[in-house]
Amino acid sequence: MKLIYTDALIVGAGLAGLRVAIAAKERGLDTLVLSLIPAKRSHSAAAQGGMQASLGNALKGMGDDEDVHFQDTVKGSDWGCDQSVVRMFTHCAPKAVRELAHWGVPWTRVTAGPREVIVNAQKVTLEEAQAAHGLINARDFGGTQKWRTCYTADGTGHSLLYAMDNKAISMDIPVHERVEALALIHDGKRCHGVIARCLITGELRAYVAKATTIATGGYGRIYAVSTNAVICEGMGQALALETGVATLGNMEAVQFHPTAIVPVGILTTEGCRGDGGLLRDKDGYRFMPDYEPEKKELASRDVVSRRMTEHIRKGKGVDSPYGPHLWLDITLLGRKHIETNLREVQEICENFLGIDPVKDWIPVRPTQHYSMGGVRTDAKGQSPQLWGLFSVGEAACWDMHGFNRLGGNSLAETVVGGMIVGKYVADFCECNNLEVDTGLVQLFMDRVGDEIDALIDGGGSESPIVLKREMQRIMMDYVGIFRNGAELDKAVAGLKVLLERSRRLGLKCNKRHANPELVEALRVRRMLKVALTVACGAAARTESRGAHAREDYPQRNDRDWLKRTLASWPDSEALEPVLHYEALDVMQMELPPGYRGYGADNSIAHPDTERRSAQIAAILAELGDDADRYTRQRALMPFDLPDSLAPRNERLCDTLATPLTSVAGKISTGEQAL
Amino acid sequence: MAKRLNLTKWYAYLDVCQSLSGVLLAVFLWTHLLLVSSILLGGEAMAWVARTMELSFLSADGQGYPWVVSLIAIGVAGLALVHAVPALQKMPLTLRQHAALRTQMHSIDHGDTRLWYWQALTGGVILLLLPVHLWLIGSAPETIGPQGSGHRIWAQGAWLLYLPLLLAVELHAAIGIYRVVLKWGAARGLDTRIWLKKLKTLVSLLFIAIGLASLLAFLPYAPLAG
Amino acid sequence: MTTRLIPTVTDTGSAGRRLTFNIFRFDPQENGDKPKMVSYSLDETPGMTIFIALNRLRDEQDSSLQFDFVCRAGICGSCAMVINGLPTLACRTLTTRYPKGEITLMPLPGFELIGDLSVNTGKFMRQLAERLQLWLHPREGEQSIHALEQAMDPDEAARLYELERCVECGVCVSACATKQMRDTFVGAVGLMKIARFELDSRDGRSVEDFYHVIGNQDGVFGCMTLLGCQDNCPKDLPHMQQIAYLRRKMAMTLL
Repeated sequence: MKLIYTDALIVGAGLAGLRVAIAAKERGLDTLVLSLIPAKRSHSAAAQGGMQASLGNALKGMGDDEDVHFQDTVKGSDWGCDQSVVRMFTHCAPKAVRELAHWGVPWTRVTAGPREVIVNAQKVTLEEAQAAHGLINARDFGGTQKWRTCYTADGTGHSLLYAMDNKAISMDIPVHERVEALALIHDGKRCHGVIARCLITGELRAYVAKATTIATGGYGRIYAVSTNAVICEGMGQALALETGVATLGNMEAVQFHPTAIVPVGILTTEGCRGDGGLLRDKDGYRFMPDYEPEKKELASRDVVSRRMTEHIRKGKGVDSPYGPHLWLDITLLGRKHIETNLREVQEICENFLGIDPVKDWIPVRPTQHYSMGGVRTDAKGQSPQLWGLFSVGEAACWDMHGFNRLGGNSLAETVVGGMIVGKYVADFCECNNLEVDTGLVQLFMDRVGDEIDALIDGGGSESPIVLKREMQRIMMDYVGIFRNGAELDKAVAGLKVLLERSRRLGLKCNKRHANPELVEALRVRRMLKVALTVACGAAARTESRGAHAREDYPQRNDRDWLKRTLASWPDSEALEPVLHYEALDVMQMELPPGYRGYGADNSIAHPDTERRSAQIAAILAELGDDADRYTRQRALMPFDLPDSLAPRNERLCDTLATPLTSVAGKISTGEQAL
Repeated sequence: MAKRLNLTKWYAYLDVCQSLSGVLLAVFLWTHLLLVSSILLGGEAMAWVARTMELSFLSADGQGYPWVVSLIAIGVAGLALVHAVPALQKMPLTLRQHAALRTQMHSIDHGDTRLWYWQALTGGVILLLLPVHLWLIGSAPETIGPQGSGHRIWAQGAWLLYLPLLLAVELHAAIGIYRVVLKWGAARGLDTRIWLKKLKTLVSLLFIAIGLASLLAFLPYAPLAG
Repeated sequence: MTTRLIPTVTDTGSAGRRLTFNIFRFDPQENGDKPKMVSYSLDETPGMTIFIALNRLRDEQDSSLQFDFVCRAGICGSCAMVINGLPTLACRTLTTRYPKGEITLMPLPGFELIGDLSVNTGKFMRQLAERLQLWLHPREGEQSIHALEQAMDPDEAARLYELERCVECGVCVSACATKQMRDTFVGAVGLMKIARFELDSRDGRSVEDFYHVIGNQDGVFGCMTLLGCQDNCPKDLPHMQQIAYLRRKMAMTLL
């Protein structure tokens, strides 16, 4: 048996995982990262837009602070998030951006003087302040009150991941590449590491650690079409689920993006519609105004996705060998605009579709994009059920996104979450001993070994790829953008049959070393369990909240459903997870549930909402008008952070003697519409 | 020189020397060929050029100093050595390197790599033939002229040397200048590179044509053998 | 404006074409296995990329076929291979680019072969980063994450980003005959990254420090300007200009 010991073991080498590794190594701990692929190939690299942090350097970001970022995030989550976690997050986001600048990220900077931008399809001239010249810039994103999204041109995720991995290399943090974690070693109370398989040699290894952190990203690939990388298969969530003890939170919260290209599911940016692009059906007809007379193509992501699906279901989709799709028409924007402002969309169209978007329509459809759910953790990133198990980033349900994530908050969560949770992981490693029970390790090693033996020599007949495709189709058809009781029941029933069948898997390729079919077989069983937590969670939640849209229960129901779904799988022979719920306490909220400010306003109120609102008013009144925003916040909802992250964030406005409004530039709106 | 020769900078010296000597050799080569091509204007013209090269205007008797040519030949040999030594280092010298190069060129289709391959081959040819040429000329500088050269080329069979040398050297020099320009970043844009590449081909062809014509032009001056 | 009805994806794929894939097959871990080319055939579908085709071949015809894809969107650099003689990213290569319908796939030369079309670029890149110290070496002085960040010239930031777009796909390494002949040569990827940090005003290393790393035959002076890197880079990075810049910079240290 090959045993490898370490203090902090991290599964997943994307931004979140690497950040935790760096935090542990900084404290002198022995740190080791496992990854399916080279770290720099992680899906974090695909985030192009940027990360939200309330620096308030750019003109349209001035007046921004943690409070505004907090409100936007909570509203975006449809009040499904953990508000103290959102506070921790918004407080540390500016720190993470600045830290990354020290590590080499070439953030796009503010250029003083006038520049032309397009807001609401109108040309607007912004005059950036001289004092802000050279500071980190921000761009506009959906669902935010301020321009808050820090970016590096069109490749923010790439730049961040490269800087982060370079930092990890400089600290000599080993990354074991092409290694797949298959089981957590645990005794029902404490997690002791993982059993992992080398994807090249097939060797099984036991990695024993004080703290194990799951940072494996989302589970988008349980759907047939996803914008996610092909490795985002929910294996991290499955690791936790298969312990039977640890829980997964809000697995039914899955975000769909309206305009990914067909067939490969690569995203075309929201900017296409923001700049005036239109959606058309098989007859070339622009259908969005019929559904959303006011906002048309520019309604929020979830709304547009829902309307497109509705229209396809009416038979108005364009048939293709890859299923029906709709058209995104940006031809009306003209060559000049596309070649300057939508260069990346044009490249995608040329490379993947062989078309020129200046002349041709782009085939698109709503596509799975983000997993709000994941391994449930407390505010320190630790599993409440399994001591020593941590999770961070998209893999986790830390829970700052609730039922809907804002654009720019995913990339931010990886580095900010990693920064905070990393410190708690290091604390844990310093306070706890490495416990090695070789008997226990052997037990888990044998279990995985037996599973592989059975797949190779077991004589099963089910094909892993057939089961996987079938699962992906069920999730796509019945657990998609619109959900209803009947279809969700169908999904659960269908997935259970598949899970049953997955116990009789057989392989055509019987190699024990590098064998893609074996990898597929080991994954598909686990993915089916993850898919079942999504389907069962969705079937049970009889309300609509954020991205979870039930046709049969269109209202957000705070009265009955202001709670987090927790799924566990205590009986490994069972065909479905056990669901239980964790209530969100309105009386602890800084921002009690209300109207988001966009979308439908049709919620059923929670009985505590009014009481809490009154209480908040009273607390603030008692503090008086002199109290600063920090004091007021602390009075409403105190939150903890590691000491080193506690200091306040300095902003440009704090460093200037004169108030910003007078040094800042002007906004002038041009008359002509584009 | 501000600094003493710094041994840690050995490779920088080598690289600069290779490029610089290459440029000088190419300039010499083209000038040399243009001078030789004076034969195309007639024997008189060529004889005048040959005399002038021997600094006839400095000597009292107007005969010049043939040893000047010998000096030039020695200088060229020296430059060629400076050029060849760093270049040789970069050639595939072991069997393993040869195999790797063959595999790579076989599996990947790339024009400039093929160009380099030709440059390396022609470099090898030059390395063999140039010393012979330099020896022929340098050891008997007084024979240079329409008749002498014509005799050497056509009667003594030196065309067997000059023909391959001409082809090799003209390909080698033009490719080399093209590469040295790119190497040091004188071509900023990729478009520049495209026309440079065309120019390079043109220069090769032009000088090969001039060279061939000149070789043929010596034919009438060659005393009939036998 | 005339409404253009239904320009279709099918425009881009001649329906009903039967493609032939000649794929390099070799499992170095299998005793007695020998490298060979194996032929497969597959019906082309509209919009088919090499990514789609390889996955279909594996799903339907040979489950042991090894290849690497991650983002399948031309972002992560995992899937570089030699397609009909040109090294490039397979995920964003449409089969319609090959009118004859014959597609030959070879693994990238110059890397450790894992099997079939899968090569270990990750290991190579990590070793290179360690050897050349390819990370930002901040200038002296304490930097606070709580205080206002240091200003940086916006143009400098933009320039750095342009150089940072490298995805470590390995194409430049495989396309470089120099690198193939000389194992220890750092290749365009290494030089490009060095140039990126050399240009970064936040990096504290001096020209002499960089000379120490790349001022030799394995570094910038080993480059023969064959430009395989420039001509094949899927991200169109300015290799030619940057390597020339470094060469000038390093040669200037002689003065």
